[in-house]
Amino acid sequence: MPLLSVSHLSLTLNAQQILKNVTFDVDQGEVVGLIGPNGSGKTTLFNVLSGFLKPTHGTVHLREADITHVSPAQRAKLGIGRVFQNFGIFREMTLEENVLVALEALPKEQRMLLGDLREVVRGTLDMVGLSHQGKKKAGSLSGGQMRLLEIARTLKSGKELFLLDEPTAGVSPKMTKQVADLIAELKKEGKTVLIIEHDLPFISRICDRVLVLDVGEVVLNGKPGEIKHDKKLQEIYFGADPTA
Amino acid sequence: MNFILHIICVIAMTLPNILGFNLIFGKGKIFHFGPIGVSLIAAYASFLTLNATGSYLVAIAIGSTFALLASALFAWLSFRLDPDGLGILSIAAHLAIINVVLNWSSFTGGAMGIPKIPRMPYLDSLPTFTITVSTIAICWIIFLFVLEHSAFGRQLQALAEHEWYAKALGINRIRIHMIAFFIGGIGALLTNIFYHQYIHLVYLSDFGYPVFIYFVMIVVAGRPGSVLGVTLSTILIVTLKEAVRFIPLPSHILGPVRLLIFGVILLAAVWVQRDSLFPKKRTI
Repeated sequence: MPLLSVSHLSLTLNAQQILKNVTFDVDQGEVVGLIGPNGSGKTTLFNVLSGFLKPTHGTVHLREADITHVSPAQRAKLGIGRVFQNFGIFREMTLEENVLVALEALPKEQRMLLGDLREVVRGTLDMVGLSHQGKKKAGSLSGGQMRLLEIARTLKSGKELFLLDEPTAGVSPKMTKQVADLIAELKKEGKTVLIIEHDLPFISRICDRVLVLDVGEVVLNGKPGEIKHDKKLQEIYFGADPTA
Repeated sequence: MNFILHIICVIAMTLPNILGFNLIFGKGKIFHFGPIGVSLIAAYASFLTLNATGSYLVAIAIGSTFALLASALFAWLSFRLDPDGLGILSIAAHLAIINVVLNWSSFTGGAMGIPKIPRMPYLDSLPTFTITVSTIAICWIIFLFVLEHSAFGRQLQALAEHEWYAKALGINRIRIHMIAFFIGGIGALLTNIFYHQYIHLVYLSDFGYPVFIYFVMIVVAGRPGSVLGVTLSTILIVTLKEAVRFIPLPSHILGPVRLLIFGVILLAAVWVQRDSLFPKKRTI
């Protein structure tokens, strides 16, 4: 049984078809990369999966339950965690408050299992080496630190499925390594990750499988090694070879 | 002495409504421009009931029901409209409510308002009135201060900073904003129940648009969202407003001078708070 099942998903916005018959499954514990050129519909697909956009056709199932018409907040409670492209943290809040607000939004039963929330906050900040800055406003962090904080916060809030939108964008090479380590940590804990990236070597290193999206359609679906050498991928990124 | 007690009374009576509005507009960054409309409904519902039944208990029960209903209406509008649309529609709703009250004079008293409002039996003297309203104001400040630093306060702030990010964490916007509007409604009721007893009159010009501007000025000057900041600015601006009465100028000049002073304060406050006044929307 797949954890996430996307079936014949289509989305039309302002008379323009953004997603076309997108179908794929993601198994529990799998790390799946989602690549494609700019404007191919990757972030829009994430917006549909996290409930911010309603599809024109098709369904989204989480553990066999139809969540196509479930609100974003409810999806978060069901275990979908989203990491945004532009650092989804609250810059006017302190680092501690940023973690705390995520923990407090959990369903009561889940929150009670965590025990003392202040301890969990400390542990989360420790995990990414930011515990000494807990009282600082999150807006003062670097891009990489914001990213680490966001991923760690999502991890500690017990999510099962992670939607990571370009987690290495605007992040220094050193921090990129830390982000990769954190994603490896997610995998080790049996979490499921769907990740949008432009950095193909990064994707090849951390993903079990790669989906290639082009003009709103899934055109390739396979292991990173296979996809990397596929002629179609070269065509998508560099155009068809005129000599061929 | 009586003048000092009078100023304390006015500050204490103003605070519940201002702090309730600060929770919605300042902390929640919701462009709700109809708090005076809610006040008007709460005041008229309470004192028309008082006139009909003679019971403050019934009047407060009916007043709170109407205040909550009006708050729910504005909250409902906020869920369905963009911020700009809500701002404009809430102004329109406020003006519509004023017009209904003004023209339905057989029931509301029209422009004459509701005169001869009796005070609650134990609030006859100025000192007891001052002690009562001050105690209520202090309790309200403590309540809102605790709320500001609670899970609710953080969730309201998260929604104000970025709605999508907040929803992605599982924060339920409808629940959080509805609570904020209800608290604003209760604040409006508290202010109006005491203020109109104090002046023995419900008068329509107390619910005009300039009163709303006065509210915005206090919230912006005190730092939007901050309970202590807005409490302090309420104290300062209400004191200034009352003190201006003593400037030895003819009344036809004094009015515009007061407006000029408040205009300058509002302009300066908006300039200083320009980065934190409105939510920063970022693309996804």
